[in-house]
Amino acid sequence: MPTIDMHMVLALLGIAIVGGLIGLDRTAVGQFMVSQPIVAAPFTGWLLGDPAAGLVIGAALELIWVLDVPVGTFVPADSTVSAVSATAVAALGCPGGAPLPVIGVCILLTTALAPVTMRADGIIRNWNARLADTVPAAQGQDLRRRLARAHLSGLAVFFLKSFVLTLVLVPAGLAAVSVFQRMPDTVHRAMSLFVKLLPVLGSALIVRKLSTKHVDLFLLAGFVIAVVAGQVFHASVSIIMLLSVTAGWLGARFHEQRS
Amino acid sequence: MNNGHKEIGTADLFGVFARSLLIQASWSFERMQSLGFAYAIEPVLNKLYPDRAEYESRLKLHLDYFNTQPYLASFILGAVVRMEQDRAAGKKSGTDAQGIKASLMAPLGALGDSFFWGSLKPFAVVIAVALVMAGSWWAPLLFLLIYNIGHVVLRAGALVRGFNSSGDAVELMATYRFTSRARQFKVISLAVLGGILGAMPVWRSEFRPAFPVPGTFIAVSGLALTLVLVAILRSGGSPVKLMLGLAAGCLVLAYAGAI
Repeated sequence: MPTIDMHMVLALLGIAIVGGLIGLDRTAVGQFMVSQPIVAAPFTGWLLGDPAAGLVIGAALELIWVLDVPVGTFVPADSTVSAVSATAVAALGCPGGAPLPVIGVCILLTTALAPVTMRADGIIRNWNARLADTVPAAQGQDLRRRLARAHLSGLAVFFLKSFVLTLVLVPAGLAAVSVFQRMPDTVHRAMSLFVKLLPVLGSALIVRKLSTKHVDLFLLAGFVIAVVAGQVFHASVSIIMLLSVTAGWLGARFHEQRS
Repeated sequence: MNNGHKEIGTADLFGVFARSLLIQASWSFERMQSLGFAYAIEPVLNKLYPDRAEYESRLKLHLDYFNTQPYLASFILGAVVRMEQDRAAGKKSGTDAQGIKASLMAPLGALGDSFFWGSLKPFAVVIAVALVMAGSWWAPLLFLLIYNIGHVVLRAGALVRGFNSSGDAVELMATYRFTSRARQFKVISLAVLGGILGAMPVWRSEFRPAFPVPGTFIAVSGLALTLVLVAILRSGGSPVKLMLGLAAGCLVLAYAGAI
């Protein structure tokens, strides 16, 4: 485990502030999607000197949580705190570049965060209700002031939630990674395979939500095009993806004309 | 009325738009976006109602329960600003601001959730993840670009349309064709996901499975595993349980000597 010196304390505080600020985009400010794992994790990794780990963690968590959406009163797990914390643990736990097994265990640790972040979100939303209760009773100029104060206080509450969670979870994650690094090589190999299979799990989660069919024809069409282009014509991944997008677009047009 | 027919101009609408970016700053289970709505519209009410008692009563009216999809809230805000302007000018209207809020928030909430969270976001995500798999570092930037070009333009446009049409949601839907565009995004997302799975043998090194078998076999295995996971999800699996199950499966394979 890296030593807890002043540099580490400052890094933890800094990343908690960054986590708090990025977390505002999740609900409270704008929702420009900078809080999505695919942006938040590489950004955190870049700040801490390991953008590659951030990109891997961000892509995996994004596929898994993208369709866990806030509808009505449902508050999904906070994938932003998960992405920032997992990346910070990987980057701070392994300076110079986190190996794949460590990235895997950092992602695995986020499964424990899901209920914690949902509970924290529930608490702060109840707290916001108490702030709001002070507004209707106000009169005159005080009404305007109280409205602004109560509403904007919510920003501080949302910031504090992500800040505190990140500040607590990153040191806990660093301790867990330290234990993991002493585990046998077999466990490390298992975690490497876990990372490699995460995009498959993420794809399944998206297919499950986007399609009601057991075997979706558009999914199959994209798959066949990619296999033929990649394995027969040895096309690059970029070309394969371009072909898949084109196939999807043509499929959408065809689907629209038929219906 | 006592205000001398004050008109709402572009600067006022821009102010409402800027404040609408914070509509969820104090989101709570009881009041949801009610404070955010009142906060966004307050400067307009301040301008339209110099009589403090009337200003206060209108502002308190807008503290009532309000919840919709945060981006499409700008359409309702535009419509309500127009109604408040007409009301302050003494013009008669077939419906009142509370009526339009009550009638639009649920349908626009459902429409916006389905379009933005359920189709545009996964579309931007699968394109970005495809680029991550191709090894591009700028995938997060492309994700932000794809998502925000559509969302910011639509969000600002919806405010203006709401104001100009006094809340004619039929015109909004005809202009933006949410349903057919959502279907297109979903179809393209599925095709690109198929492409991602088909390109599995040439994924970036962190994700690429390193088994000594032909690439086509790896791709077909990836697709088969995805379909098995989809079937498990349909029978009630959750992302967290599947991640834990996947990690456990990898450990079993590692200890069995298969990897």
